[in-house]
Amino acid sequence: MKFYLALWFAKLMGIAIKLVSRGRGTNLPGEKALSIDPSFVKHFKNIDYSKVVFITGTNGKSSTTNLVTHILKENGKKIVSNLEGANLLSGIATILAKEASLTGKLKADYYIFETDERYLPLIYAQLPAENMLITNLQKDQVQRNGDPDFIIRKLKEVINPKMTLILNNEEPRSRFFEEIARRSIYYSVSRHDESFTKGNDYPTQACPKCHHDMSFDYYNVDSIGAFHCEHCGFASKTNPEYEVTDINFSDRTFKLKGVVFHMPYDLPFMFYNYAGALAVCEEICGIVPVAAAKAFENFKNIGGRFEVLKYNNKTIKYMRIKQENPDTLQSALNIMASDSNEKMVALGLYVVNDFVPHYINTFYAFDCDFKPLIDSNVEKYLCFSEHVSYDTANRLIYEGVSKDDITIMDSDDIKEIFAEIDRAETDNIYLITWISTFEKMKKFIEGGQN
Amino acid sequence: MTQLIKIGWLFPNMFNLHGDRGNILAIKAEAQRRGYAVEIEQINLDSEAFNPMDFDFLFCPPGEMEHFKPVVEFLEHHKDELIAYIEEHPMLVTGTTVSLFGKLIHRDDNSTIEGLGILSLETTENHSVYGDDIYYSCQYNGKEMEIIGSQIQMMDLEINEESPFGRLKYGYGNTGKTKYEGAISGKGIFTNTLGPILVCNPWLTEEIINLIEVNKGWTAFEAHRDNSLELMSLKTKTALIEKKETRLVKLSER
Repeated sequence: MKFYLALWFAKLMGIAIKLVSRGRGTNLPGEKALSIDPSFVKHFKNIDYSKVVFITGTNGKSSTTNLVTHILKENGKKIVSNLEGANLLSGIATILAKEASLTGKLKADYYIFETDERYLPLIYAQLPAENMLITNLQKDQVQRNGDPDFIIRKLKEVINPKMTLILNNEEPRSRFFEEIARRSIYYSVSRHDESFTKGNDYPTQACPKCHHDMSFDYYNVDSIGAFHCEHCGFASKTNPEYEVTDINFSDRTFKLKGVVFHMPYDLPFMFYNYAGALAVCEEICGIVPVAAAKAFENFKNIGGRFEVLKYNNKTIKYMRIKQENPDTLQSALNIMASDSNEKMVALGLYVVNDFVPHYINTFYAFDCDFKPLIDSNVEKYLCFSEHVSYDTANRLIYEGVSKDDITIMDSDDIKEIFAEIDRAETDNIYLITWISTFEKMKKFIEGGQN
Repeated sequence: MTQLIKIGWLFPNMFNLHGDRGNILAIKAEAQRRGYAVEIEQINLDSEAFNPMDFDFLFCPPGEMEHFKPVVEFLEHHKDELIAYIEEHPMLVTGTTVSLFGKLIHRDDNSTIEGLGILSLETTENHSVYGDDIYYSCQYNGKEMEIIGSQIQMMDLEINEESPFGRLKYGYGNTGKTKYEGAISGKGIFTNTLGPILVCNPWLTEEIINLIEVNKGWTAFEAHRDNSLELMSLKTKTALIEKKETRLVKLSER
């Protein structure tokens, strides 16, 4: 009875929230339902767990979930998915309540859920999915997670011999789980024009199998690329089942299993999302690459990390990075570096304010290679933000930028930021900052104040 | 004749959590500013001829506890040399790896890891992580200084009869219940401070190089580094510390 009360309450609450504010309420109804029935998610009927896919990992969960869902829907499948990124148990509870009948029955071909890696054990206890895609396991949110092994231990609580895993062939930590799963399917990206190497003073990582040093032949995305351990032989496979190849940046195409795909986004970190999504679609849902290819023509990623603003005669290219995460910063640096046109770089790294206590963390920037950016025709640098601007400037100085070439502004005042942009001779502006400052800048422009 | 400083970077690939190479960049830059040549050697499990005494400075970054046992096995053979080394030579150990130089590590799953026992420390892994700024005063190579940085604390550190490296002005420090931060033994600094500490606090980096100059019998380099950028950084960070919300036990109540 508790379940029904919780379900009806969540449904009503979902409707009420939607009436008040569209797009909100991705967590709250589920949160309330779980407070009425703590095993709420477990009590839904008709879920075939072999049709449930969890998509977890550090980076790329949302994009991969969005793409898998899009491909399946375009192929006529009925999908239940948490597309709005509510990836905790309460988010999943919310979407299940919304999709279920009044008696808690669900009717879908597949259930595709982005799941927060930290909360996976809690989610799995109520929804024992038999399939899981792991995007990658990287350094991220250290204030919460400490180190990657903290997350690996969370995953170890869940991954079992009944599971099918879809694993990133070029990411050693995720590959570690192949030893536990019933079946592992590997997805991969071949070396392409924007693959890169780093000097040997940039550390790699320890082999998850024997603790010795791991070597990377190259990286497709920071910390992800063809790897091998000379001590125990653990290495990326040379013949992964789902490999994105023939990446053509000018035609915006790639191939997988001989099928040509249009690339909706030509950003290197998206290539792994493409490969992983195609592996899930064929192996778990029976949608072959040729059938999936059509869906790539009209795929729009929700909540992407890139946005372009027009300001006076200048183009501001905004890249949202995840604080405490060197991989997203490195990707942003690589994108700027690959543009050989003259540019201004505005870096507004900021205080980490996810929860109390807020704190300053800029150390992850020392994992990133700034050299290619510095060598890529930068007219001027602006380092801004109230508490972190000096550290950000210092990171550039340690990479060889002269202190005189950096404008340091210990403020988040957007008028001052725009004034600096006005002073640049170039019209090509790259901006990295937190979403709040960016939104203010966007509003400023949209308000016609340019 | 070239004056050469040799730096030993312990387990850089295995212990690589928090932009730790910044410490290497900082020490190298300060040595080069003074006109010294710098050689950096990476020590890993496959290094066959590791001898601490070959180096002027050793740095051991923070790492995942998962990898501690093989490192203890490796360093066990050099324990006596390391004890002798830190009597005179600067060594910096940061973050979780401090525990490895202590006696016993109690893990959250009730298992234990036997540390090197170079220091009389005991550590207990916490069930959850605590991340925050850290700010304290300390003395190194005879110089009083303030240190600012960040701390990602995965374990509580009981320093027993060891001397604390710093006295907290703000932060969790060793246990969140004392005013102590890290430990110092001889010239060895064992600290929870990330940042990287030597980038954010060049006054400490300068003292390490000063000590190396003494150890090598070189004439002290007179011209001071321009630390204005880092001093401004310190100012903005302490301003944040003063105004921000915290759930730490007040220092006056510890």
